[in-house]
Amino acid sequence: MAKEKKIVLALPKGRIREEAVPLLARLGVEPEAAFRDPDTRQLRFTTSDPVLDLIQVRSFDTATFVAFGAAQIGIVGNDVLMEFDYSEIYSPLDLGIGHCRLVVAEPEALGTQDNPARWSNVRVATKYPSLTRRHFAARGVQAECIKLNGAMELAPSMGLCERIVDLVATGRTLRENGLVEVEKIADITSRLAVNRTALKTRSREITAWMDRFRETVDATVA
Amino acid sequence: MTDLSKKALLPTGLRDVLPPDAAVEARAMETLVASFAAHGYERVAPPLVEFEESLLGGAGAGVANTTFRIMDPVSQRMMGVRPDMTLQVARIARTRLADVPRPLRLCYGGQVLRVLGSQLRPEREFAQAGVELIGSDSENADLEVVLLAIESLESVGVPNLSIDLNLPTVVPAVCENLGLDLTRGAPVRNHLDHKDATAIAGLGGEAAKVLGALLDAAGPAERALELLQKIKLPKPAAEERARLTGLVERLRAAAPDIGLTVDPVENRSFEYHSGLSFTFFALDVRGALGRGGRYSAGNGETATGFTLFLDRVLRALPPATQERRLYLPFATPAGEGVRLRKEGWVTVAALEKDKDPEAEARRLGCTHLYRSGDVVAVKAK
Repeated sequence: MAKEKKIVLALPKGRIREEAVPLLARLGVEPEAAFRDPDTRQLRFTTSDPVLDLIQVRSFDTATFVAFGAAQIGIVGNDVLMEFDYSEIYSPLDLGIGHCRLVVAEPEALGTQDNPARWSNVRVATKYPSLTRRHFAARGVQAECIKLNGAMELAPSMGLCERIVDLVATGRTLRENGLVEVEKIADITSRLAVNRTALKTRSREITAWMDRFRETVDATVA
Repeated sequence: MTDLSKKALLPTGLRDVLPPDAAVEARAMETLVASFAAHGYERVAPPLVEFEESLLGGAGAGVANTTFRIMDPVSQRMMGVRPDMTLQVARIARTRLADVPRPLRLCYGGQVLRVLGSQLRPEREFAQAGVELIGSDSENADLEVVLLAIESLESVGVPNLSIDLNLPTVVPAVCENLGLDLTRGAPVRNHLDHKDATAIAGLGGEAAKVLGALLDAAGPAERALELLQKIKLPKPAAEERARLTGLVERLRAAAPDIGLTVDPVENRSFEYHSGLSFTFFALDVRGALGRGGRYSAGNGETATGFTLFLDRVLRALPPATQERRLYLPFATPAGEGVRLRKEGWVTVAALEKDKDPEAEARRLGCTHLYRSGDVVAVKAK
């Protein structure tokens, strides 16, 4: 049915990319040379697999590209999946890369005298306003979210808010800014994200890619 | 306020449909309904607005949260604007057409309105066309409506059609057996909707095993059926599986070119469906073109049918070619216009005398010009 049409994989920049590239290599997919050139302005790359192209976007945008079908598959952190909660994305596979956790943190001093059971309203700085609101709403607390795009750890000490919701890998940034982790919202890893329509209309190709990723991930774990 | 009204801003999700799209949509609607009618489905036209309790009662509860409400100043009762026409047609079948012999075949086409669009589909008003086959539980009825959907979509020119077959009752039956909560917003529901295999595996025990196997089965039809056969299902779910297997075989024989997939955990947009269901997709068109399946029509009657979303169907079509329009200069004999329109021309008559009819034809977007008894093509500038 579908002629040799390309499959596009959305790949996030930064931390996850460093772990995703070796994973792709184990799958037998090598991006073209320009992909490794730090000065390139190119955003779309061919690979050693003639039907697979890579696009490189911000980690928050990977989910959006996949949800709208601009990319058929993607490597997306489940923090991003949870934030957008796109109905058009399936996440059938944990790729076992990009491990970290999403936590609520607050200044050490506040932590000792605070009683979370009495909260009715909290002000939180985060990159994840929608997820944060849902998390607090589930326990009956209204969260007033301040959307920041970075340097979250600075917000409590500057009086912007009392708490933050952010990703933590080692906890070093929190410690160095006098914050303590008070609650874990979720463990985060990167997932294989699949566009719903692509899975239905190009079922064979996409299922084959899913199987290929699954075999590689299973082999790595074993 | 005045500034906005000058600029014609419309509320989110509502839009003006302009030429040539409005004509294309109207033609597509006619073609679809004509192919339904050719199979003996008679057209009904329910009202845009009706009392809330009849619109949203019974199976309609599933669409209550997408329905606009208004107060009827006459009866002082709440009314709902239809978010979907299937349930209205079911109501007609159950009440006014209760004594018409079964199976009853009805079709419809019209606009629907919803309180919210989705992220991917912001439209809040769009046209639906569909059929309902009421009062038959036969597997032949399932086959008839799916084949009719294929035929009607192909009649408007949708290429590369593919059908996803769904069993919206299987997951509830399995979860009931396992004592899992499956209401809207329950974690298991969310995990399944996102095919989050990691979270399902995290449930552990029998639930992880059965639900995980169901998730894994989603995919090309033959592969899915093979995997489904291996899963131990409670009795009602196993019966649905048998029904699905039969339908896949017969669809393969009747429509070998259509892409077929099976997804046993798909639940989205099956707000009131209670058995074998299906969703229509086309290659490279974002989201579903339509969906359908079994539901309860009330009075103990079972029904099946499908609904197509015209906005999505049109997106699947190749771009419209420019319509041929013929410019009739001032004082062209009236009889000539009549003759040319009979030949199939769209004519645009001059209202005033113009110096250069060809330039005027070009300005008005006409492709052809009438010149002393002949039709000549307008040269591009």
